[in-house]
Amino acid sequence: MFKIAKNFVFVIVAALIWQLSVFLFKIPNYLLPAPADIIVSFSKNYLIIIENAFITLGEVLIGFFLANLISLIIVCLIFYNKKIEKIILPASITIKTIPIIAITPIIILWFGTGFFSKVVVVMAICFFPSLINMIRATKSINSDLFHIFTIYSATKKQTITKLIIPSTLPYLFSSLKISSSLAVVGAIVGEFVAVNKGLGFLIMSNYYSLNMSMVFTTTLIVCLVGLLMYYCIDVIEKRLIDERY
Amino acid sequence: MIFLEIKKLSEKYGDIYVLRDFDLRVVKGEFVSIVGKFGVGKSTLLKIIAGLMPIYNGSILIGGLTPKEAIKRRIVGIKFQKSNLLPWRSVLENLLLPLELAGINDKDRAFQLLRLVNLEVISDLRVSQLSGGTEQLISILRSLVLNPELLLLDEPFSSLDEITREDLYEKIKLIHIKEKKTTLMITHSIDEAVKLSDRIVVLSDKPTRVKEIFDNKASKFDINEIRRCLK
Repeated sequence: MFKIAKNFVFVIVAALIWQLSVFLFKIPNYLLPAPADIIVSFSKNYLIIIENAFITLGEVLIGFFLANLISLIIVCLIFYNKKIEKIILPASITIKTIPIIAITPIIILWFGTGFFSKVVVVMAICFFPSLINMIRATKSINSDLFHIFTIYSATKKQTITKLIIPSTLPYLFSSLKISSSLAVVGAIVGEFVAVNKGLGFLIMSNYYSLNMSMVFTTTLIVCLVGLLMYYCIDVIEKRLIDERY
Repeated sequence: MIFLEIKKLSEKYGDIYVLRDFDLRVVKGEFVSIVGKFGVGKSTLLKIIAGLMPIYNGSILIGGLTPKEAIKRRIVGIKFQKSNLLPWRSVLENLLLPLELAGINDKDRAFQLLRLVNLEVISDLRVSQLSGGTEQLISILRSLVLNPELLLLDEPFSSLDEITREDLYEKIKLIHIKEKKTTLMITHSIDEAVKLSDRIVVLSDKPTRVKEIFDNKASKFDINEIRRCLK
C-alpha cells in the first residue's frame, strides 16, 4: 500500500514539475502539451480513445496468445522430432533479423488493412523470443529427468504434459513478460502502416493535424495497455509459479 | 538364484573402451555396491543396465529379460545422484508420479513407503520445504513405488553431509530388509559400500573391468584391504 502511495506521489510531483516547466519556459503546445491539456484532451475524447484502445488490446491479446501457442506447439513437435528444430530455428532467426517495421507493409498487403493483419504483425514480433525461450527452457531440463520418465515407460504425451510443460512454465512466464511489451509495439506499428483503427491510428491521425495533446494522451494509453498486460502476467505468474515452484 | 547377469559387457566412447569384458552376477535380493574411482564408467554401466544406453558388446539379463524388456515390464527402479523430484508436485504427488505414468491408482503403496521411514506426516509438503536428506530419501521411495525387482542407485548420498548420510544408511538398510529388492549401488565411497552391501565389486581403471569382488558373507569386509585394492 505504501509503495502504491509512494508511486502516486511521484507521478503527481512529476506532473507538477512538467506543468510548471511548460508554463515557465512557454513551451508551445505542438512541442510539449502540459499535463492539464492532456487531461482536457482525454475528457473530451475518452469515448473514441477507449473504443480504439479495445481494438488495440484485442489485436495484442489475440496475436500474443497465438504466437505463444504456436511456439508451444512447435516446442512439443521438436520433442517428437528433433529435425523440426533444425528447420524452424534458422528460418525464425532469419525472419527475426528483418525489422518489424520493414515487413509490416508486406503483412498488410497480404492480409489486408483489417484487424487480422495487425494480429499477424503482433504474432510476428512475439513469436521469435517466445520460441527461443521455450526451446532454451526444454534444453535446461535435467537429462536424468528424461531418463526417469523413460524408466517409467512414459509415453511422449505424458512426458510433454507431466515434465516438459510444467518444467518450462517459469521460463514461459519470463518470455510472456518480454513479449507482452513487444506485442503492444507490434500492434501500434501495424496500425501506423494500415491507418484505420486502433491507438496507432489515433496517434498518426492526430500527429498529422498537430493535435499533440491527443498524441500524448493516446501514447499514455498505449503505455497503460502495455503495463496492464505486464502486470496481469505478473499476477498470474505469482499465483501459478511462486506458490508451487 | 541369479537375477542380474552381465556377460562380457563392453562399451566404447569413440575409439576408447570405457568398459571391457565386464562380467557380474547378482543374486535375487542381494545388495551389491560397485566401487571405483571417478570417471571409470560407473554411471555409464548403470545407464546400460537400466536400458538408457545401447549395449556395444556383450549381454545383460535382468530376470531373464533384456534391459529394454525389463523397462517395459517396469521391473527396474532407478535413483540418480540428484533427487530429481519435481518441484511443482508435493511429496505425495512425486511418489505417485510413476503410478500415474503406469495408469495405476494406488495411493496406499505411496503411504506404505512413507510409513516405512516414518515420513507420512510430510506427504503434503512441497519439495522446496524438504531437507537434502529427506529429498534423497523421497527420491529412493519414488524409485520403489512401482515395486521394481531391481533397484539401481547412482551415488545416492554424494551430495549429503556425514550426519545425514549415517541416518540415511539406516533407513536404506531398513528399506532393503522390508522390500527385499535386488539392489545395485554405484559409489566412490568405500565406507558407504561396507555399511550397506552384501558384496562389493571393485572396478579397475580404464578399460573398466571387475578387479576384485569382496563378499561379506564369506569373510567380513576388511575396509583397508578394499582401499588397497582400489588404489
